[in-house]
Amino acid sequence: MTTEKIHNRQLVFMLFMIRSTVTIASLPVLTTGTAEQDAWLSAIVSLAATLLMILLIGGLAIKFPEETVFEYSRKLLGKTGGTIICFFFLWIFLNTAATEVRIYAELLTIGFLPHTPLIFLVSSMVLLAAVAVSLGVEVIARTADALIFSYIFFIAASLLGALKGFDFINLQPVLSRGFGPVFSSALTPAALGNQNLVLGVLVPTLTTPRKAIPSAALAALLSGIVLILSTITVVGVLGPKIGSSSLFPFFLMTKAIEISRFVERIEALVVIAWGLGIFINLSVFLYCGARGISQLARIRDYRPLIGPMAIFWIILSIHTYDDFLDLIKFFQPRVFFPYSITITVLPYLLLWAAYLIRHAGRGGKKYIRKRRIKPE
Amino acid sequence: MKWLTALLRGKKSHTAQKKKAEAGKITDSRMDISQREAAVKSLSLKKSLPETLKLIREVTGAPGDLTIREFRAGREQVEIALLHLEGFVDNKLVENILRMLGLGSFQSPVGKGAGPNLLQEFRRRLLQSAETKEVATVDELWSALTNGCTVILCHGSATGLACDTWGFKYRNIEEPSAESTIRGPRDGFIESFYTNVALLRKRIKTPNLWLEEFTLGSLSRTKVGILYIKGLASEELVQEVRQRVSRIKTDAIMGSGYIEDFIEDNPFSIFPLLFQTERPDRVAGCLLEGRVAVITDNTSFVLVAPMDFPMLLQAPDDYYEKMFIGSFLRLLRYFAFGISIFLPGIYVAVIVFHNELLQAQLLLRIAAVKEGVPFPVVAEVFLMEILFELLREAGIRLPRAIGPAISIVGALVLGDAAIRAGLVSPPVVIIVSLTAIASFTVPTFSFGIAARLLRFIFIFLGGAFGLFGIQFGGLLVLIYMSSVRSFGYPYLAPVAPLILKSFKDLAFRAWWWRMNTRPLLLGAREPVRQPRGQQPRPDIEEEEKEKTGKGRKNDH
Repeated sequence: MTTEKIHNRQLVFMLFMIRSTVTIASLPVLTTGTAEQDAWLSAIVSLAATLLMILLIGGLAIKFPEETVFEYSRKLLGKTGGTIICFFFLWIFLNTAATEVRIYAELLTIGFLPHTPLIFLVSSMVLLAAVAVSLGVEVIARTADALIFSYIFFIAASLLGALKGFDFINLQPVLSRGFGPVFSSALTPAALGNQNLVLGVLVPTLTTPRKAIPSAALAALLSGIVLILSTITVVGVLGPKIGSSSLFPFFLMTKAIEISRFVERIEALVVIAWGLGIFINLSVFLYCGARGISQLARIRDYRPLIGPMAIFWIILSIHTYDDFLDLIKFFQPRVFFPYSITITVLPYLLLWAAYLIRHAGRGGKKYIRKRRIKPE
Repeated sequence: MKWLTALLRGKKSHTAQKKKAEAGKITDSRMDISQREAAVKSLSLKKSLPETLKLIREVTGAPGDLTIREFRAGREQVEIALLHLEGFVDNKLVENILRMLGLGSFQSPVGKGAGPNLLQEFRRRLLQSAETKEVATVDELWSALTNGCTVILCHGSATGLACDTWGFKYRNIEEPSAESTIRGPRDGFIESFYTNVALLRKRIKTPNLWLEEFTLGSLSRTKVGILYIKGLASEELVQEVRQRVSRIKTDAIMGSGYIEDFIEDNPFSIFPLLFQTERPDRVAGCLLEGRVAVITDNTSFVLVAPMDFPMLLQAPDDYYEKMFIGSFLRLLRYFAFGISIFLPGIYVAVIVFHNELLQAQLLLRIAAVKEGVPFPVVAEVFLMEILFELLREAGIRLPRAIGPAISIVGALVLGDAAIRAGLVSPPVVIIVSLTAIASFTVPTFSFGIAARLLRFIFIFLGGAFGLFGIQFGGLLVLIYMSSVRSFGYPYLAPVAPLILKSFKDLAFRAWWWRMNTRPLLLGAREPVRQPRGQQPRPDIEEEEKEKTGKGRKNDH
C-alpha cells in the first residue's frame, strides 16, 4: 500500500470544518441545555473541554507516530481488550457521521426539498464521501484545501449579514441564574469533542506527526471562535427563547435576515456551507472507519470495505432515529454526555493507564522503539 | 466438405503468396505496406548510377514531384544525377549547386570510376556553404529528400551526397486567431518545427534550453521534440515526458492532439491534462517555470506538461497589462468561468425547486413571461443550450463568407422568433446568452469545451434535484479534480494542495518585482527567480545625497 501523507495544515482545515459544521447545524450550546442568553459562556467552557479531549486523544497518538489507534490499542491492552475498545471507536465513527448526515437531510427535507425522500439525500451524500474515500485520504485533504475559503466565506457572510438584526438586549442579563445552566449547556458540545477521535487515525498519515496537538488545538480554537461568535449572533438576533427552542437556530437566524430589498435570502449560503462541511465530515469519518476495520481484520487495503460500509451507514442513519424528535432526545445532555464519556474518555483513560504502566515498567522509549522496528 | 477444403486451400495459397512476396523484389505489388517498409530499409545504393536510379524509381513509383537531372561533369565527364522533391527545395539553391557542378571548373584528380573521391571533392571544394551529409541506403536518401535536401549521385559511388536546400513555403508567422491579445506579442507558432523552436529560442537564448528530437509514426515519420531548460525542469519530469513520448508506436502523427492522447495521465478526464497553445510567449513562460514543452511538426499547437488548473484561466494579457488591470481581468475570468458552468443549472434549480430564494417581484416577472410557454424550464434551457452549441459549431465549420448569414439566422430567426412564438421565455434566452458570452472568456478553447459538457450535466442535476443536485455535482467534480494529476503534479495546485506562495499568480497577479519565487511544485530545483526588494522607489543614491546635502540643486 502506498503511504499517503497529508499536511498538518490540511488536518487543521479538516478538523475545523468538521467542528464548525456542528455549530452551523444544530448549535448544541443553545439547543441542548438551559443556558439561554449565557450560551456563549458555555461555548467557552466547551472549548476548554475540547482542548482537554485533544490532549487526551492526541497525546497518546503522538506517542505512536506511525500507528493508528487501532494498532496501538491492541498493543497496549492486549488482543481482546484492545479489540473491544476498537469496536467502541468504530461505533463512534459510524454513529456520529450517520447522525450528522441525518440532521443535514432532515433540514433539507424541511426547508428545501419537501417531496424528496430522506434516504435519497442521505445516500447521495454518503456516495460522495465514498467516492472521495476510495480516492484516498490525500484527495479528501486536498478537497478540504479547495473548499476552506468558500466555507469560511459563507459562514462569515451569514454572520456579518446577521449583524443588522443584532440586539444587545437579548444577551442580558449575564449569569442571572449562576453557573449551573452554563455547565448544563456545555455538556453536549464538550462531549461532541469526541469527533477529535479522528486524530487517532489521521496522525500517522501526517507529514509531521509530532505537531499534531498544536494543529488540532488550532482547529479547535478556530472552530471555537466560530462557535462563540455564532452563539452570540444567534442569541442577539433571535433572542434566547426562540433560539433555544428552534431546531436549526443558525439557519433560522439567516432566514430572519433581510439585508436589503434585493438581497434577502442568504440562508442558501448556510446550507451550502453546511453541505460542504458534511461532505468533509463524512469522508473523514468513513475513511477512519474503513481504515479501522481493515486494520482489525488485517486487510491490506481498506478500499473494498467502502461499499459495504457506505450501505450499512445509510441504513444506520435512516433507522437509528424515527424522526427528528429522536435526534433531539439523543443530544440531550443527560443522554449524550454519559454516552460519549463511556465510549471515548474511559477507553482512552484505560489506554493511557496501560501506556504509563508499560512505560514505567519497560524503560519507556526503548519499548516503543523495539516494537516499532519489529516487522508486523 | 468441398467448400471447406477450398477455403483451406485458398488460405494456404494466400500465406504462400505472402511468403513469396517477402522473398520477392520491391516491384512485387502483392507486398503489404509493412513488408515494403522493411524491404526498403534493407536496400542500399548501387555503384552504377543507372541501376541506382532504376531502384529509386521502383521504390517510389517514379512520382512526378521527384525531379532527377542527369548530366556529365568534370574533366572526366563522370555521370552525375541530381535528385530533389519539388516544393521542398529552394530552386535558387539547387541552381547554385547545378551551376557549380556543371561548370567543371574544378581540378578533379580522379579517373573513371572513382566516384567516392569525386563526391568528397564536391564536398570539400564546391559546397562548403551548404550543409552536407552522406547517404548510403534508399531509405536514407528518401528521408533526406523529404527533409528538403538535394541529393547528388555519382556513377561509381555507392553513396550519395545530400546537400541542404530547404525551401518549403510556409504561411507567415501571424497572430493565432484563437488566442489574440491586446498588449502581447503578435507572433504565433506555425506548422514548421524549427521555426517554432526558433520562436522559443528567440525568447530564451540560454544554451541551457535543450531540445531532444524523436521521429514518431512509422509512415508519417513526424518530428517530435521535447524542449526544456536543463537544470530548471526537474530531471524526473523530463525523464517521464521523454519516456512517454518515446513509447508511442503508431503509423502516423497528424497533430499534437495525437500525442496528447498517448501521453496524458488519465484518458477518461474531460479536462485537458496537457496545456496546448499557439503562443510562443506562453510556452516560453511555462518553460521558465520549469515545465516541458512538446513540439510536433506540422502543427501550430505546442503541448506543455505538466499543467495545472489555474493555467487554463490565465490569459497572456494578464502579464503585459498593469498589475491592477491584469488582476481585475483575471478575477473577472474566474467569475465568468463559474457562470459558464453553473448559471443555467442554478437557474433551472431555482425556478423548479427554490422559488422562495428569488425576490418576490423578480419571481412574479419571470412567472408572467413564462406563462404560456409549453415546455418545462429544464427542456427550455436544454433546447436553447443545444441551439447555441449548434450555432457555435456551425460558425466554425462554415465557409467564412456565409458567417454573417448564420449569425442573422441564429440571432433573429431563432432567438427572436422563438420568444415571439412563445416557445421560449426571454429569461432563458438571457441566461443562455450570458452563459455563452461567459464561456468565451476562458482563454483555453479545449477547456471551454469541458466546461460546456459539464454545464449540461448541471442543468440536468438542477432540474432533477435542485440546488442539492448542483452541490452534489460540484463536489463530485471537485473530488475528481483534486484526485487528477498531470505528470505527477496535482491538477488543482496551488489551491489544493494549498500553496500560499503561489497565490501571487492565481486569482491576482502580483507585480513582477514581487514574483521572487517560481511556482513551488515545479521550480523546486531552484525556487528563487530574482533577488528581493526590487520595488521601484526613489533612487537610494539620491536619497543619501539629499541627506548629506551634496549635489542638491540650488533653488535660486
